[in-house]
Amino acid sequence: MNRKRIIGGLTLTAAGVLALAACSSGGSSSSPSSSTSASAVKSGGTMTFALDQDMAGFNINNANDTEFVLQEVMNQVAPQVYVTQPDLKQVLDTDYVTSAKVTSSSPQTVVYQINPKAVWSDGTPISADDFIYFWQANSGDLKYKDVGGKAFEPASTAGYNQIKTVTGSNGGKTVTVVFSKPFGDWQSLFGDLMPAHIAKKVGFNDGFQTFNPAVKVSGGPFEISAYTQGQSVVETPNPKWWGAKPKLSKLVFRIFADDNQIPPAIQNNEVNAANPAQASLQFKDAVAAIPNTTTNIIPGLEFQHMDFNQANFYLAQVGVRQAIAYGTNRQEIVSRIVGPVTSSVKPLENRIYMPTQSQYQDTSGGFGDFNPNKAKSLLTAAGMTMGSDGYFHPKSGPLAGKDLSFTISTTSGEPVRQEIEQLFQADMKSVGIKINIQNYSPNTLFGTVGPKSEFDIIEFAWVSTPFASGNQPIYCSYTNAGVCGENWDHYANPQVDSLFNQALTTIDPTQAASLYNQADAILWKDMVTLPLFQQPQLYTYGTEWANVIPNPSNAGLTWNANEWGQKAS
Amino acid sequence: MAGYLIRRLLAGVLTLLVASFLLFLLVAVSGNPLATLMANPHVSPATIAAARQQLGLDQPLLVRYWHWLANMLQGDFGTSTTGQPVGPELASRLLVTLQMVVPTVIISAIIAVVIGVVSAVKQYSISDHVLTGLAYLFYSAPVFVIAILLKDFLATNVNQAVGHTVLYTIGQNTPGTTGAWNIFTNTLGHTILPVITLTLATYAAWSRYQRASMLDVLNADYVRFARAKGLSPRRVLYVHALRNALIPVVTVVALDFATILGGAILTEIAFGWTGMGSFLLTGLTGPVSPDTAVVQAWLMVVATAVIVFNILADVLYAVLDPRIRLA
Repeated sequence: MNRKRIIGGLTLTAAGVLALAACSSGGSSSSPSSSTSASAVKSGGTMTFALDQDMAGFNINNANDTEFVLQEVMNQVAPQVYVTQPDLKQVLDTDYVTSAKVTSSSPQTVVYQINPKAVWSDGTPISADDFIYFWQANSGDLKYKDVGGKAFEPASTAGYNQIKTVTGSNGGKTVTVVFSKPFGDWQSLFGDLMPAHIAKKVGFNDGFQTFNPAVKVSGGPFEISAYTQGQSVVETPNPKWWGAKPKLSKLVFRIFADDNQIPPAIQNNEVNAANPAQASLQFKDAVAAIPNTTTNIIPGLEFQHMDFNQANFYLAQVGVRQAIAYGTNRQEIVSRIVGPVTSSVKPLENRIYMPTQSQYQDTSGGFGDFNPNKAKSLLTAAGMTMGSDGYFHPKSGPLAGKDLSFTISTTSGEPVRQEIEQLFQADMKSVGIKINIQNYSPNTLFGTVGPKSEFDIIEFAWVSTPFASGNQPIYCSYTNAGVCGENWDHYANPQVDSLFNQALTTIDPTQAASLYNQADAILWKDMVTLPLFQQPQLYTYGTEWANVIPNPSNAGLTWNANEWGQKAS
Repeated sequence: MAGYLIRRLLAGVLTLLVASFLLFLLVAVSGNPLATLMANPHVSPATIAAARQQLGLDQPLLVRYWHWLANMLQGDFGTSTTGQPVGPELASRLLVTLQMVVPTVIISAIIAVVIGVVSAVKQYSISDHVLTGLAYLFYSAPVFVIAILLKDFLATNVNQAVGHTVLYTIGQNTPGTTGAWNIFTNTLGHTILPVITLTLATYAAWSRYQRASMLDVLNADYVRFARAKGLSPRRVLYVHALRNALIPVVTVVALDFATILGGAILTEIAFGWTGMGSFLLTGLTGPVSPDTAVVQAWLMVVATAVIVFNILADVLYAVLDPRIRLA
């Protein structure tokens, strides 16, 4: 149960308006949830939120830890300059930065004024040093080193690799960022800031991998006060928090190994809110039957997909990857997996934008169509012959004379994903490809198997922000883990690099979206990954709780947990 | 009695030493911790060589055993493939499982003896048939089915009737609970359903042993003789029959304690507990599988429990049957 997340995706309408508005005002500014009116709530109480997997570590900016569950935990702990609202608009969080202005367009320069009250929970002021460290760690520039002289391993370098300088002034409370190339998605930067004075000592890559004193240092309304592996995370109000005090006295994240255990826990008031990765019909029916509970299903900025590891001798051949895509009946997968939950979902024809975003286009060029005969002819063209056992036999490579076989992996213990694998296995058998299934725990899949590219085919979901620039680390030409850390498939295409680079330096959102869509069309042709469907998000929470507002972006349900509380009578 | 006890303890230590070597050997030969890496064409030989060295697999088996044993005797159970020391994790998991297993064994043993005796004394009566039917039902019902039924029906109804949560369905406690009394009641509330689940599965088998053993004894000549002597039925039952009938059951309980300690995995999973069962599961399904240090530590704890409880059973035999301690 689980999903991987990414700092990616961009809503043209929202980002475009914001990018233009930012030239004068820096976009909307207020407390993060100001776009919705917070209801009156009682002070105190404990609210328990269900997490459907444990975390791999506690550094959301690290390539190995960047999972959705960790984002849900860190939303109220790590400072974020801009907060994505449920309508995907960006709002400046004035608790951290009182203003963010584009003061020059050539070179693009952004000046941030840090809230003078802002301090880390250990008393150290939040300052320009934190911005400078954050930029260096995420820049992908090998001249900046982590503790021990190691290269930083950031989840995404998008935007940070276009910054020329970050300087502090005004006693460290003014930060000036000068870009070497224009960056339209500049509002995506400096999310989930880290305490530089701590990270410099313990290390960006390794210092936050286990629960230790470094992890407890918070810059948000809550701080992590306890963590029990596989069981729970407990957050309590940060005593040094300078903004409006959170209403809850405790925010507990209870970790579940099996989604089916969540409904009885909700029914018995042990869990108050949940947002499972996979909304199965069984789960939906179970929570819908619980009295005094609200359940919403909305399309998320999240999609299921299959990745093909091009380090594999056969998957390195585009014809083989295309054959797999042609042989996969995506409509059948959609009908069987999400059809019972919601009828509005169709096979996904774009991996940068979701159908609920205005920039979404069908860029598939027919490469996602179900066409088993074409799949077989592509495999024949790749020099394979059909064996008597119904499987193709390659003429060369490690499987020469044997069945053409691949292993598909996903997170173990998740029936919905396993059903996707089984449908895929059956589809592949009918076109002559043998598929073995080898699943791993979420921590192993996302902490080891994926990042180290120890797989043939892998099925999981990306959860996006509205910023499309965040997709670059997934599809940019792989050179090393510091530059394209999310490119687990080891894909490389200079044409895609060029289009991404152009899009990243394009301020005009319409033009940028066009470039991203052009890049996506090439990704379809190269069949780097096979998008399956936009994941419907199910949110369920008790009706006695106020201000629980679903957020379909990677911010998740806890984006405004500082305002959660029991309804005032 | 003292000599008997010393002999049993010495035999136990020797058995444990042999067991430690056998389990080390079994783990060493039955699974290759590098198999997952070696089967993966994307992992370089250098990475595999480094992992081999890190896990000490480049050393002879006997040397590895000696190092493992020496470290273990000093409380060092090695390091998991995740880089975490196994000892503290093992201790934490053991405590969690004991929270479930100790009350289960005590309650199951009491229920089993009572039901076994009643069934035997009233053989073929309606109560015997009912108790036998229930025992077979609980013995054959999968643990997870019992767990789901308890969660969905018992917990929900009780909690609704009380007006707040007293029976918890997930975890061994509520994270962040403070105050000694709150922690106690909260832990108790979390323990009730898993203990009921495990007890239903456990008492069922034990009660059948007790019934069979009791029937054997009740038909024995010395019990008939006791009755013929004019002793009261109560005295015959409790002093002469039950005491002897407990001996086979004591063996089963002692051996099952160790089994439950390591094998309550389904109950742990059903209620989201992180005990010994899930510890083994993690060791067998982790990124480098098997996680040798974890599996060996788990086996060692279970082996120790088996031997300790066998000795305990032997001592109880001696208490229950004078012929044994005089032998």
